[in-house]
Amino acid sequence: MKPFLSILLLIFLSPTLVLAAEQPVGSIKTLNGEAAILRVNATIPVKIGMPVYQGDVIQTSKSGSVGIIFRDDSTVSIGPASTMNLKQYVFEPKNNQFSFLMKFIKGTFVYVSGVIGKLSPNSINIETPTSMIGVRGTKLLIEVK
Amino acid sequence: MIRKYIPIVFFIIIMITGCIHQTTVVLVPDRDGHVGKASIQNRGGEQLLSESGKAVVVWNEIISPRPAVAFDEQKINSTFGSALAVEPPAPEKFILYFENDSTEIVPASQTLIPAVIDSIKQRNSFDISVNGHTDSTGTAEYNLDLSLKRALHMRDILVKAGINENYISTTSHGEGNPLIPTKKGVAEPRNRRVEIIVR
Repeated sequence: MKPFLSILLLIFLSPTLVLAAEQPVGSIKTLNGEAAILRVNATIPVKIGMPVYQGDVIQTSKSGSVGIIFRDDSTVSIGPASTMNLKQYVFEPKNNQFSFLMKFIKGTFVYVSGVIGKLSPNSINIETPTSMIGVRGTKLLIEVK
Repeated sequence: MIRKYIPIVFFIIIMITGCIHQTTVVLVPDRDGHVGKASIQNRGGEQLLSESGKAVVVWNEIISPRPAVAFDEQKINSTFGSALAVEPPAPEKFILYFENDSTEIVPASQTLIPAVIDSIKQRNSFDISVNGHTDSTGTAEYNLDLSLKRALHMRDILVKAGINENYISTTSHGEGNPLIPTKKGVAEPRNRRVEIIVR
């Protein structure tokens, strides 16, 4: 009886196991004016509390600004008329896997490193059209014209 | 005669158009006063930024990033003011302690509960972590279970106070993450705890 129940449980749980691969990497913490998330083919207006996923492109309007907090407590604050691509975010302390790659396409940004910066400082990189920035902690202001 | 000037004009044009995509990286202290480092590189070379209040400018992909120069407070505010204004606040952490082998919160920690709830409501937090822990007396398996029960008990208190359970994530660390490291089997009340992080 018991093994049968375990198998049944596993079958019911498997969709959540698949979804776990697509869990949010952070959330919108602050917002001033307007911003949008471009995800796959959709453009989603930003609201406070909204989750953020790997692959998202976040864009602010000419007078908008937005702050994001990630699962490792690092933050990115984005100023007006700015665009950033959240290319990769991996935070699995149990498996010692860390990686944070963003592309700042244009605008102004404030980056503050979190737990990834403490446990694996070589894993944080920010790409801009003219450079690659290796972040070794802690707080950087970046402008891309 | 005019041909002499073509290379110069060409160079100037490249420099000007290159500057349009310029990147500037400024290093500043974090809220605890710590100053980190950054290495900025492109096809032309690499520049290390390690001094607070200084900036490295990259004109284009070809020319190496420039050596660090001073970037004053006023310039920081005029360039980054709007982004700085929406910087998320640091998470707030609370530690509540438990009676031995129990999910009962000690009286001294019970007085913290209103402050926890207040913090969640004031920040309009959608992201609260409740992490349960034990000391190293008893078996590791028992402690994993006890730490989970402590985290869930704390979560229930928050939910009863009106916090949305979807905003709370619970973890159990068992005896594996002590505040005060001890030998196996040593009672340590400061490890019998739940840590709450409000983002």
